[in-house]
Amino acid sequence: MKKLLFIATIVLLGACQSQQEQTEMQSSENPFFQEWDTPFGIPPFDKIKDEHYMPAFEKGMKENLAEIDAIVNNPEDPTFANTLEELERAGKLLTKVSRVFYNMTGSNTNPKIQELQRELSPIVSAHSDKITLNEGLFKRVEAIWQARETLDLTSEQQKLLADTRKSFVRSGALLNEEQKAKITEINSQVSELTTAFGQNLLAETNGFELILEEEDLDGLSEGTIAAAAETAAQKMDRAETEEEKAKYKDKYVFTPHRSSMYPFLTESNRRDLREKLYKSYVQRGDNDNETDNKQVAAKLAKLRAERAQLMGYETHAHFVLEERMLKSPDEVYGLLTKLWEPALARAKAEVADMQAVVDMEGHEFKLAGWDWWQYAEKVRKAKYDLDEAAIKPYLSLDNVLNGVFETTNKLWGLTFTELYDVNVYHPDARVWEVKDKDGSHLGIFIGDYFTRSNKRGGAWMSSFKGQSNLDGRERPIVVNVCNFPAPVGDNPALLSFENVTTLFHEFGHAMHGILTNVTYGSMAGTSGPRDFTEFPAQILEHWASEPEILKSFAKHYQTGEVIPDELINKLLKASKFNQGFENTEYLAASLLDMDWHTVKADEDLKDADAFEEASLKKIGLIDEIAPRYRSTYFSHIFAGGYASGYYSYVHSAVLDSDGFEAFKEAGDVFDPELAAKLRTHVYEKGSTEEAMDLYTQFRGRQPEIDALLKVRGLDGSSD
Amino acid sequence: MSLPKTLLFCIFLVLGFSAFSHPEDELIISEIEQGQLSMQDQQMTAEYEAALKRQRMRRLAAMSWQQRFLLFIKAGIEHIIPKGLDHILFVLGLFFSSLIIGSLLWQVTSFTLAHTVTLALAALGIIQAPGNIVEPLIAFSIIYVAIENCFFKETNKWRPLIVFSFGLLHGLGFAAVLNEYGLPENGLVPTLLAFNIGVELGQLIVLFSAAALFWMIRKKSWYRQWVQIPASVMIALVGLFWFIERTIL
Repeated sequence: MKKLLFIATIVLLGACQSQQEQTEMQSSENPFFQEWDTPFGIPPFDKIKDEHYMPAFEKGMKENLAEIDAIVNNPEDPTFANTLEELERAGKLLTKVSRVFYNMTGSNTNPKIQELQRELSPIVSAHSDKITLNEGLFKRVEAIWQARETLDLTSEQQKLLADTRKSFVRSGALLNEEQKAKITEINSQVSELTTAFGQNLLAETNGFELILEEEDLDGLSEGTIAAAAETAAQKMDRAETEEEKAKYKDKYVFTPHRSSMYPFLTESNRRDLREKLYKSYVQRGDNDNETDNKQVAAKLAKLRAERAQLMGYETHAHFVLEERMLKSPDEVYGLLTKLWEPALARAKAEVADMQAVVDMEGHEFKLAGWDWWQYAEKVRKAKYDLDEAAIKPYLSLDNVLNGVFETTNKLWGLTFTELYDVNVYHPDARVWEVKDKDGSHLGIFIGDYFTRSNKRGGAWMSSFKGQSNLDGRERPIVVNVCNFPAPVGDNPALLSFENVTTLFHEFGHAMHGILTNVTYGSMAGTSGPRDFTEFPAQILEHWASEPEILKSFAKHYQTGEVIPDELINKLLKASKFNQGFENTEYLAASLLDMDWHTVKADEDLKDADAFEEASLKKIGLIDEIAPRYRSTYFSHIFAGGYASGYYSYVHSAVLDSDGFEAFKEAGDVFDPELAAKLRTHVYEKGSTEEAMDLYTQFRGRQPEIDALLKVRGLDGSSD
Repeated sequence: MSLPKTLLFCIFLVLGFSAFSHPEDELIISEIEQGQLSMQDQQMTAEYEAALKRQRMRRLAAMSWQQRFLLFIKAGIEHIIPKGLDHILFVLGLFFSSLIIGSLLWQVTSFTLAHTVTLALAALGIIQAPGNIVEPLIAFSIIYVAIENCFFKETNKWRPLIVFSFGLLHGLGFAAVLNEYGLPENGLVPTLLAFNIGVELGQLIVLFSAAALFWMIRKKSWYRQWVQIPASVMIALVGLFWFIERTIL
């Protein structure tokens, strides 16, 4: 018997050992479990394989929870160092793998990564709940918070303490058990409804298709026709039955995705078909079928209001805005209404311009929403006459990059050295070392500019490594991802002016990520409030359209000729095109968002249509324009994190126009004193101070809207 | 204007890990806004190849001329060994044609001279020839020299001229691969020179290896019957296979 036990023990031990060996072997192969001895700590992309992510996430979360436990169970009294600083240090492996993984989901994905993404999503959110709802952890933070006056903390430490405590409080840490249970209940309902909203909308968007014959293509350009034929071919590929395949054979398909719809609305001469496609777009989620979003939206707004009230806030907007640069619904409404009248007036003038064209063509109809793109294009050609093809040769990617590098060199003395021998995740992703004025290393910048089939659309900035000074000087690795058309053959890549603006914009985000210089990594770079973080990006766009700077980099790629003044003038004039429409549709959506989130918990909400109608009537939106998003497809606020935050874009725009105006007033777009202030108070500070304080330290006063009205041609100056 | 460009999805990425609490939403939103990604293997491979070439070109442009010179010598050698199997066979075809060093030297020299001329002309963009004509002809040139080896014990006096015209073809073949590989915009002439030197070195390596193997037995009475002819027949057969592959298949 004893012997048997002995053997059993041996076997068990052996089993343990071999299991341990196995995991050790895995560890030695998985690059996430190793120190990266690459130049500047750039992730070793050639070694990272898809199968490495999951084990790294699992181990990362396990380690993270163990670290949290160690903080909570520390027998010593809570101090800033043993609690908040340890929290900063926790989760290293998880951060390491997350940064690489979530970057790849956007810029270099594949079916395996997409599957992992779906698999990980609930796991990761459960993990973050375990930390934000950890009572022991909150108790320690709260103890430090109560003693804060006696602790002699730096201002950065005070802000970290306050922010950390607030995030616990906002997750419900101060509530009693009953309230907490109620909040959990509401959260799970909100979560379900949010997901349902997104899935309904996806189904509605994918559900409609305009299948056309050859004779329906009147007015469409070759490119648009080719894209529609491609969509039909893809649908045929995916079709399962022969019958379904036949439906698409030799046909042309348009869908309510913007990339498919806009070209059609602009070019098609078939007014009946334009109307059909446009209506399919604006009716999404509002078709009284099983994927209808009217009730979902109303329920969500109501639940959010209830939750806010439980937490002690008047409305959900109050709850959200507490953490923003604009602190209350009153401030947001104030800004939006100030912009609304000039925008609407401009839009009405645009309608009149277009109606004149309609009448001149001998048509009898009154301009409608589905006519807007077509007639706007006609006005654009007549009034602004800007030929994109004539500009592109001056805007090769390399020239534009030189331009943006030169701009930051003149502002802050930065220099960029391309590292040709460093391979990252794709051969189109280029790597630069960024150095400061004194030659010291500031960070790594990766630019991944061309569109490809496994990259998400749009443009964004992200990072592979953050900045921190907690345990020595850690400098960041930042990436810009764009979707510019790839060059054909051996020709250089030529950009449109819109691409150039995008490049400067994203580069502004990158500068925010690279110049940042804070002690605690969680407060670095772009970590600030959403209505502020677009400011450092958007202000840089202004330099791109300064004639002086344009001339320094916009040189013809074949002849070297500098871009002529005439083209620059046309370019700048064209930036005021259609601004009435764009601002009106955007502001209407922003106001709608605010209305939805300033409802009170006890308000009687029937459904989204009635609510929206009342909201739009109140501001006097004209029939020719729909809000940029109607309630039933406003995914930003009902499926994403923009609730009561859609105004952020225009708020940042107020800041960037007003901020750049300071340089204009100084008479030098590279004014050294202002440039230095912009760097120290905005680009370096992350979220270590209140955003409004940062702005006023740079600008010398609070922001004003006049500069924005001028930039967008809403000041009555455009005809 | 950049309202629509920076999607929520991007903001999530920007904000770092703390914002990943509902990553499924980003996926849905970007699909709503932009539709599903169509990841087709063939297209992705083509995109990747094009990107690789762009990367090579950037690297080339950033190199010093010495580095570039060495790189292209290496590239030239590589385009014979191991990548240029058809050129290897052609050179071997020449090797099995003659036992007289003088004759061999004449042939190799005229081949080199010829392919240098067309490689330079094609790389400078002065002449152009489509691959679907050049490639089968290269295969044909291999068949031709190999068959001639079987019929004539010694090369006739026209041979260097024929080899010269075949050399013109092979030069066009080199130009095509070199173009795929990517040529730097500045310093084209030294680059071509380096590439040619590399090609020559590759050819010499092939010739010397063959010589080292067969030199001792070249005077034997059975050499022609058991080495020269069978080897040439093999070469001709491979050439024939390529010819068919490049025209019909």
